[in-house]
Amino acid sequence: MSDDADLLARLASGDASAIEALMQGYADKVYRLAYGVTRNEADAQEVVQDVFVTVFRKHASFEGRAALSSWMYRITMNAALNKRRGMRHDVETSLEADLPTYLADGHRAGDRAYLLADWSGTPEAELLSRESRAVLTRAIDGLPDRYRAVLILRDVEGLSNEEVAAAVGDTVASVKSRLHRARMAVRERLTRHFHGAS
Amino acid sequence: MNCKDVIALLADYLEMTVAPETLLSLEEHLAECGPCQAYLRTYRRTRELAAASERAALPSGMPAEMKAHLRAFLLARLLAEES
Repeated sequence: MSDDADLLARLASGDASAIEALMQGYADKVYRLAYGVTRNEADAQEVVQDVFVTVFRKHASFEGRAALSSWMYRITMNAALNKRRGMRHDVETSLEADLPTYLADGHRAGDRAYLLADWSGTPEAELLSRESRAVLTRAIDGLPDRYRAVLILRDVEGLSNEEVAAAVGDTVASVKSRLHRARMAVRERLTRHFHGAS
Repeated sequence: MNCKDVIALLADYLEMTVAPETLLSLEEHLAECGPCQAYLRTYRRTRELAAASERAALPSGMPAEMKAHLRAFLLARLLAEES
């Protein structure tokens, strides 16, 4: 029996030490991810509780084919996104204004100086200034939840596209599309900030 | 290939998963297009900055008090299931 399956079997048999092991292995990670999606301590706490209750209730359905960590990611994302469902940030169309626009021939549309704005070589101190970080944080906070979830899983947690797809219950193609649009939207906010500042 | 095609492929380009035949035309466009060069560089930098910012902003773990509460909740639940 794998360590994961053994842990769940101990949980099923009422072994209290399994709770400790589960918490040590996953409480911090689940909380971080839940916070990443909900952006709120109280909501993240509720999500964590929901996740562990789900593990209690559904451990029998864990088949051991995937790692327990993948299952936990999946339950966490499901609980966190459900908690936010119907809220303002769930509206996926809000990204459109921050995506690039094109002419009929497929070339970029817009002011040439703005299109050429390249702030990537901006000194670190300026990129990480309080003002710039605030712009970045607002941009990430403002992403629709499912986009921010993908950005966090992929770019912060370092999961593969396939692992992210499994965690959010979506196709790899959809994950890649959301990730790309999320990065483009954040890039646009930063470009407006740095270009306006130059 | 035009700007729209190139920008659509940037994530794959950074992951080096663009098919060789497509890669050639993508890099030909990039070599001649200032806006796409700027877009690529700022896109790449955005990815790094967003990751760094989130790593710093997200809590390192669950606050101890919350953890104690969760532990008590789970133990109570385990006991309730046994009885």
